[in-house]
Amino acid sequence: MNGMGEMSSVLRIILIIGSLIFFVFIMNMVRTKKLELKYALTWILTSFSFVLLSIFPEILFFIAALMHIELPVNALYLCVISLLLLIVFTLSVAVSRQALRIKTLVQEIGLIKETLERMKKEG
Amino acid sequence: MEQMEKYNLKTLVIIPAYKEAKNLPRLFRELKEVPLDFDIVVINDCSPDDTEAVCRHHGIPVVSLPVNLGIGGAVQTGYKYALEHGYDIAVQMDGDGQHDPRFLKLVLSRIYEGYHMSIGSRFIEGKGYQSSLTRRAGIKFFSWLIKLLTGQYISDPTSGFRACSRELIRLFAGSYPKDYPEPETIVTALRNKYRIAEVPVIMRPRQSGESSITKNLAAYYMIKVTLAVIMAAIARKNEDGAK
Repeated sequence: MNGMGEMSSVLRIILIIGSLIFFVFIMNMVRTKKLELKYALTWILTSFSFVLLSIFPEILFFIAALMHIELPVNALYLCVISLLLLIVFTLSVAVSRQALRIKTLVQEIGLIKETLERMKKEG
Repeated sequence: MEQMEKYNLKTLVIIPAYKEAKNLPRLFRELKEVPLDFDIVVINDCSPDDTEAVCRHHGIPVVSLPVNLGIGGAVQTGYKYALEHGYDIAVQMDGDGQHDPRFLKLVLSRIYEGYHMSIGSRFIEGKGYQSSLTRRAGIKFFSWLIKLLTGQYISDPTSGFRACSRELIRLFAGSYPKDYPEPETIVTALRNKYRIAEVPVIMRPRQSGESSITKNLAAYYMIKVTLAVIMAAIARKNEDGAK
């Protein structure tokens, strides 16, 4: 359990401060309507779990032991990277959906414009 | 052609155009000389040049997209237009002058015979512009891949000179690939049991402007289209799309 044991206090303080700032930042974004609550939810959950992890690093020790990872800090990296992959993938899906919707709208606008001009010409 | 008169099939020529202001007048002139009854629509894919003005000047209906969608999005707009206005046949022709309207009749003939798609191929007779060696190699590869996946040999799977029947107009209006759509749509059509024929045409080198596939994009094009073709071959059959 060393590796975390040695640096735990510094890492914990950084984590707590960082995740708290992040949490406040996210909440502010939602409050000022710059971030949709739907997407903010993931991030709120993320920052919340960071706070939780930094206060109770035992969770991390447990995960590390469970997965036979020597250094708990590596378990932390694993968790963070997995979470990021998940979030990025979700965003790719969202972007694809948006792209399809935008394409349909653009086509529809083009067609409507043409119809409108035709009607104007015909009176 | 008697057949066409008999059934009185409404035909639309779809011309997707991006920065083709210089090439379009000649194409319009040549299209007017074709002794067939058809309408034309230009899909102006948000060109920064005078493409739209040129169309208006010639009295050709033009659908101007407010945002650039790329070739697939533009062509699909044409199919949506065809569907909306009840056309029986839609013919795609590039706005860059590569496709000679004199072959329109020949391309359409296969649709009159009952095929769902008719492709103008530059490789059946091997006359006219054959494009570069590397490009031909790439095209050959797609021919082979399509033969492998569908069992039908298409000599010019990247040809954008093609006519579609009402069934395929409906299918393509509903869904169409975003970029480099030609080989993929062939596989989609064959997978849905539509019949495709090819006719020999003579293509010309483009008059001005640049091709959408530059050297730097060649590798990307090959990989993307290969993947798209394979995905189209294993895609679910589009039963509800044809309703």
